Amino acid sequence: MDRMRKIKRQLSLTLRGGSSGEKSLNETIGSQDAGAHSDSEAMPGGGSASLRGSVRGAGGSFSMHSLLQSYSSALRRPRSLGRSLSSYLNHTTRLEIVHEDVKMGSDGESDQASATSSDEVHSPVRVRLRNNPGRKISTEDINKRLSLPADIRLPDGYLEKFSLNSPLFDKPLSRRLRRVSLSEIGFGKLETYVKLDKLGEGTYATVYKGRSKLTDNLVALKEIRLEHEEGAPCTAIREVSLLKDLKHANIVTLHDIIHTQKSLTLVFEYLDKDLKQYLDDCGNCIHMHNVKLFLFQLLRGLNYCHRRKVLHRDLKPQNLLINDRGELKLADFGLARAKSIPTKTYSNEVVTLWYRPPDILLGSTDYSTQIDMWGVGCIFYEMATGRPLFPGSTVEEELHFIFKLLGTPTEETWPGITSNEEFISYNYPRYRADCLHNHTPRLDNDGVDLLSKLLQFEGKKRISADEAMRHSYFQCLGERVLTLPDTTSIFALQDIQLEKETGMRTTSLSDSELLQRCLRFRHTLGTYNCSSAPSQRQEAPSVPSVPVPFPTVNIYFVLLTVIKQKCPIPFYSHDFKWFKLLSLVV
Amino acid sequence: MQAPRSAAVAETGQLGGRGNAAAVGDSSNDTKTHFRVCRFIIETGVKLGMRSVPVATACALYHKFFQTASLEVYEPYLVAMSCIYLAGKVEEQHLRTRDIINVCHRYFHPGRDPLQLDSKFWELRDSVVQCELLILRQLNFQVSFEHPHKYLLHYLLSVRCLLNRHAWSRTPIAETAWALLKDSYHGPVCVQHRPQHLALTALYLALHTYGVQVPRGEREWWQVLCEDVTRTQIEDIMTELLQLYDMEAKCT
Repeated sequence: MDRMRKIKRQLSLTLRGGSSGEKSLNETIGSQDAGAHSDSEAMPGGGSASLRGSVRGAGGSFSMHSLLQSYSSALRRPRSLGRSLSSYLNHTTRLEIVHEDVKMGSDGESDQASATSSDEVHSPVRVRLRNNPGRKISTEDINKRLSLPADIRLPDGYLEKFSLNSPLFDKPLSRRLRRVSLSEIGFGKLETYVKLDKLGEGTYATVYKGRSKLTDNLVALKEIRLEHEEGAPCTAIREVSLLKDLKHANIVTLHDIIHTQKSLTLVFEYLDKDLKQYLDDCGNCIHMHNVKLFLFQLLRGLNYCHRRKVLHRDLKPQNLLINDRGELKLADFGLARAKSIPTKTYSNEVVTLWYRPPDILLGSTDYSTQIDMWGVGCIFYEMATGRPLFPGSTVEEELHFIFKLLGTPTEETWPGITSNEEFISYNYPRYRADCLHNHTPRLDNDGVDLLSKLLQFEGKKRISADEAMRHSYFQCLGERVLTLPDTTSIFALQDIQLEKETGMRTTSLSDSELLQRCLRFRHTLGTYNCSSAPSQRQEAPSVPSVPVPFPTVNIYFVLLTVIKQKCPIPFYSHDFKWFKLLSLVV
Repeated sequence: MQAPRSAAVAETGQLGGRGNAAAVGDSSNDTKTHFRVCRFIIETGVKLGMRSVPVATACALYHKFFQTASLEVYEPYLVAMSCIYLAGKVEEQHLRTRDIINVCHRYFHPGRDPLQLDSKFWELRDSVVQCELLILRQLNFQVSFEHPHKYLLHYLLSVRCLLNRHAWSRTPIAETAWALLKDSYHGPVCVQHRPQHLALTALYLALHTYGVQVPRGEREWWQVLCEDVTRTQIEDIMTELLQLYDMEAKCT
């Protein structure tokens, strides 16, 4: 109580005269100049160089010091920046900016992986080691200790190095020491990764396929060019700051960040293809069971984001990555943001037009998690039918596509729409809503019901990711998929398995498969029938079996034409061995 | 703030072989410096037309940065400029480096002409951009914060329902609480406590300032609004806030 009284007295003193922040700020602007000067003068200048020298003199026996010292010298180096500003503050007339080459090192606050590059790093605690001989340290220990991603397997060589002379397990691990040790292993260094092929190029980044020398795993290297004028692109900043917190089986994992002077490289786990490629590769006809699995995983990842108040805002097949196990992961969080205040207005140019909901197209700026759900509907349709739902190239055309299918909204179907100025100005014809069933022949009733719940005009009427996961469409996946831990893949459950895509172009077909496909192809052409392969003839009884002499030259010719024209026939693939096939048929 | 700072000071002292006494001695000076720099951030933010949350983010970035870094190594005003720039990117209110430099120039030299667009200007801009990267590294890209503003809004709405209508209209509780919250960004409270607790303390302090009593049910009103807060926590934050106002008097 006494304390409270004291606080109150203090409060009355300080608040008297209404001295809350802003007023006082203005009063003190004048005196600021002087303040700034004295601050910068108070700082000792140029001390760092001599310090560095003195410690280096102490030599190798105190290598822990040298390690920390190179850390501190690294920290110290950007001082030049500071000095340049303070000199600017002090004598603007003679602006002298000593812009030293500031080397941005690696990983977070680390210190210069490069400054402490491997040969400079001595074992800091060699003395201590004698007390502690032959300790066995497992990968798990190290992973736990350094909180590395769970799927990282360090090569044996590293483990040996650790058990021999590492500060890691003898000392309590401070955050700083952890960083030093991480960079000692090779994290945050560009040398750790080998660039293989270029996978794609965006507006601000180039993506390469790469290999980590540390784990021998494939990785995706997203190299972000640092614009000289604008610094790190805000999409990159947002992507990294969000992805660091998102740990989920259906969200792409960020393994490492590498800073160099000209670029920032994000190291992601590598997945074979995106949903767009997957669709192309299986002839735009995904097995319906797999459609269900992909949609569920998409919803699962999205539900996790939405729970953590993160919107993706840029869902499209190109941003959904799929590996050969059939695991689907959300990627490209460049436009995503932490949705901190739900009522806030957002910039409205965010989603690729095809997957953009109508309320956003009509200029709504206050949106929430439902913005992503429309896109889920569009992707669902695209997976089920093999073609994009609303492929508009302008806002007007996009809305036109939408209204043509779902009906032009009226006051009944979308309250308030008739007073929306943009809607009035477009003056669309009055379409009646089409039946979704007619457009999605491969989808069952439950699927159509879910699709229609996703494709609601009004954001608040759209089904949420959480509800959608419990929709009866997913009933056949069982209850257990809903209770899996965040970081467990749905394929951990035994009864959930990816079906083989029938039309999938693969690079490793067995000979008999090749033959069968070739025959199927020939049936579709309907010209020839093979008299020498009676067993295969039963496969396609619908084709009239008129025995036609089968000239070798002709099939050779057909195949060559097919290969040359890159005809999208299911069996075609890059290293399709047509000669193998010939030898089988003839 | 105290603990990590003194640790940092001790470390630099040990590494450099410099006398510890000198380094520790100016820790109160450091607090003053940080206060001044935050005042600079907030004022510059207002001049640049930034909304409350981006300004708050800029201050939080600044405090977070100096939790682990030392004032002896980095020029605080440069860090502050980069924090403003970075906060604009994080909170989707993009600012141009040129505007920031011009506004800051006017802040430091109120009477002078704007800077010429010469090589010195470009070098200064490069410094801001480079320092932004440094902040990103130092903070390990953890640059989005949850701010207490939205919580305060909710608390205010709830408390208004509990109060007599006249008591509410007579006293500027909402304004005071909001001002207290904004002012709290002068100090490192914003990165040391949970946003809920900070919002609650601002409201608590505002209510006490005007002597407004909130009817007490089974539990205190603040226990109803935020379950995991204790009276000592509120009092601790309150003391820190009030120290900031003392600091203001010292820093004029």
